Amino acid sequence: MKFRNIRTIYGKEMKDTLRDRRTLIFMLIVPIVAIPLLIMFTSSLMVGAVTKAQEERATVVFEGFDNLPADLQDTFKAAPLLTVKTENDYADTIDLIDQLKAGGFDALVSVPDYFGSAIESESPTSIDIFYDQAELKSEFAVDKIRDILEPYEDKIVAARLQERQMSVEIISPFEVNRQNVASAQKVAGRELGGILPYLIIIMCFMGAMYPAIDLAAGEKERGTLETLLVSPASRGEFVIGKYLVVLTTGIVAALLSMVSLTFSLNYMVNNLLGDIASELLRLQFNLETVTLIILIILPLAGIFASVLLSVSIFARSFKEAQSYITALNMLVILPAFVSLLPGIEIDYKMALIPVINVSLIIKNAISGSVEWNYVGVAFISTLVLALLALLFCKKWFERESVIFRM
Amino acid sequence: MIEAKNLTKIFKDKKRGEVRAVDDVSFTCKKGEVFGLLGPNGAGKTTTLRLLSTAIRPTSGTALIEGADIVKEPQKVRHVTGFLSGNTGLYGRLTAREMVEYFGKLYGMNKGQIVQRTNQIFDMLDMNEFADSRNEKLSTGMKQKVSIARSVLHDPPVMIFDEPTSGLDVMSSRTIVQFIRQCRDDNKCLIFSTHIMSEAMRLCDRIAIIHKGKIYFEGTVDEALEQTAYDNLEDAFIEIVGV
Ligand SMILES: Nc1ncnc2c1ncn2[C@@H]1O[C@H](COP(=O)(O)OP(=O)(O)OP(=O)(O)O)[C@@H](O)[C@H]1O
Ligand SMILES: [Mg+2]
Repeated sequence: MKFRNIRTIYGKEMKDTLRDRRTLIFMLIVPIVAIPLLIMFTSSLMVGAVTKAQEERATVVFEGFDNLPADLQDTFKAAPLLTVKTENDYADTIDLIDQLKAGGFDALVSVPDYFGSAIESESPTSIDIFYDQAELKSEFAVDKIRDILEPYEDKIVAARLQERQMSVEIISPFEVNRQNVASAQKVAGRELGGILPYLIIIMCFMGAMYPAIDLAAGEKERGTLETLLVSPASRGEFVIGKYLVVLTTGIVAALLSMVSLTFSLNYMVNNLLGDIASELLRLQFNLETVTLIILIILPLAGIFASVLLSVSIFARSFKEAQSYITALNMLVILPAFVSLLPGIEIDYKMALIPVINVSLIIKNAISGSVEWNYVGVAFISTLVLALLALLFCKKWFERESVIFRM
Repeated sequence: MIEAKNLTKIFKDKKRGEVRAVDDVSFTCKKGEVFGLLGPNGAGKTTTLRLLSTAIRPTSGTALIEGADIVKEPQKVRHVTGFLSGNTGLYGRLTAREMVEYFGKLYGMNKGQIVQRTNQIFDMLDMNEFADSRNEKLSTGMKQKVSIARSVLHDPPVMIFDEPTSGLDVMSSRTIVQFIRQCRDDNKCLIFSTHIMSEAMRLCDRIAIIHKGKIYFEGTVDEALEQTAYDNLEDAFIEIVGV
């Protein structure tokens, strides 16, 4: 094998590939433009919907509004984001719950007849709030009602204690404080870490897909393959040249996705949760994490390149290759999806399963909990598989029944 | 010079079992000679030429190209042959110049040689006007010229053409025909396959008639006609293969 020939083939195929619109779309446009746009779009939609539900006036219907103490009635009427209605505003009072379900208003508050006297006599009583948990606006209506009722309750408690000459502290002997010790990186890793390896792996595959189809099946379809076969370059040389091109595009797509996902997920978190919470959810990469991700994605991209090229050269036409590879896609998407499932942790068995292992390693790397024994197993098993796949691919390209398949 | 010696190629086909695509084929094609491989569809022309050009390996038998054995020294054979087939395609996104340069490098030529040869061939084939536009934008005739340029860049003494005029209109086939004559004048050894008898009569110094993988006749066109007492190659052909 001559290095000069491999370089010639790599150079030509790279030039050719970079002029192919389909390759550019998957390798550059999807990672750099489409992924961030998609994430920003969904996050702004979510933020928009939440803000809207929160800031819109909620309509609340009271059954027995008059049973409330007068000052509480006034507070409700004066509340800026609540429109108070009573059952008298509705003709059919029996079916108020049905009307709530149908979205006629946002919440139904039921005040019993004896509410006022029960408070006076200090006997227990209750207020029922009916709401629709499936509706964001209805949930916020409950919050708004409770924001009025709870301070009122506190006031009553304070008054009763004062009457008995007791301090307020007496009813809260101690407080429970939750203190989070996880680093922001770890929290982010758990909450967002799944989506990252999933998309990185898929983009690595997608980025390599079109070049692989074009470089093998495309060459058959155009009728250029035979001229290449009779040139002095050996089959091994052009397999390696083509392989390196497919590998390059897969890795470029994966790395670009990683960078753009990090930025857009951080943007999303910032936008959705505000500054304080987002401090806790920020994805952060140090050199070690990035190196680890690149290192583990390399052999996986190698497997993808060999498999894609082998399938592609087997096909008689571009179309045929495309349909094989669409089916193959599932074999990547499903195992990559494992990183999105909660509770699945890496162990030695998982570390041996291709795609799943890489997906879990990346997830752990992002949350900063790298376990080197698993990384080692996953890396070596993926690398061995990549080498075997490459060897197979080379042998496969040397078979006349594949190259000249009828 | 091409010397085919008992070339045999057996394909294993799922449906048809063993297919003897080329069956004990021997012939000789000398320098300065245009040799026609004549036969109907499925006769084994493409397979024979693929064997000669080292794209596939024979099941048995061999051939010597300029003295180099296609089985034992395929690398040597590749350097001395130029190959072109009717359905040879181009890399659409490359220009003619880029494509020719690519093959020049694969054939081990250095930059200077490539530039010099490219200019010479582009002048000869009148290609300078479109040499720097992408192949996908060219007409069929222009594409054919690019293919020719690619196949002769390394100035091989032996040319192998598989149905070079198939699918081409009169103008484009004329380019090919002129090129074949040019090769003879340059004292190259040229073998081409066709199923068009008139083309063979017009161009070939000698022919071989192949049918179902076997050679039925080897000699000049005149000898073929004499042998059968017909005045056209169509009828002679049918009598020779006996169908
Ligand atoms: N790769 C292959 N696998 C299996 N059978 C093949 C293969 N290539 C050719 N054949 C068979 O070998 C026989 C000769 O085919 P070949 O292509 O050499 O004929 P041809 O003379 O070039 O025909 P045409 O005029 O149609 O081009 C045919 O029966 C064909 O089906
Ligand atoms: Mg043929």
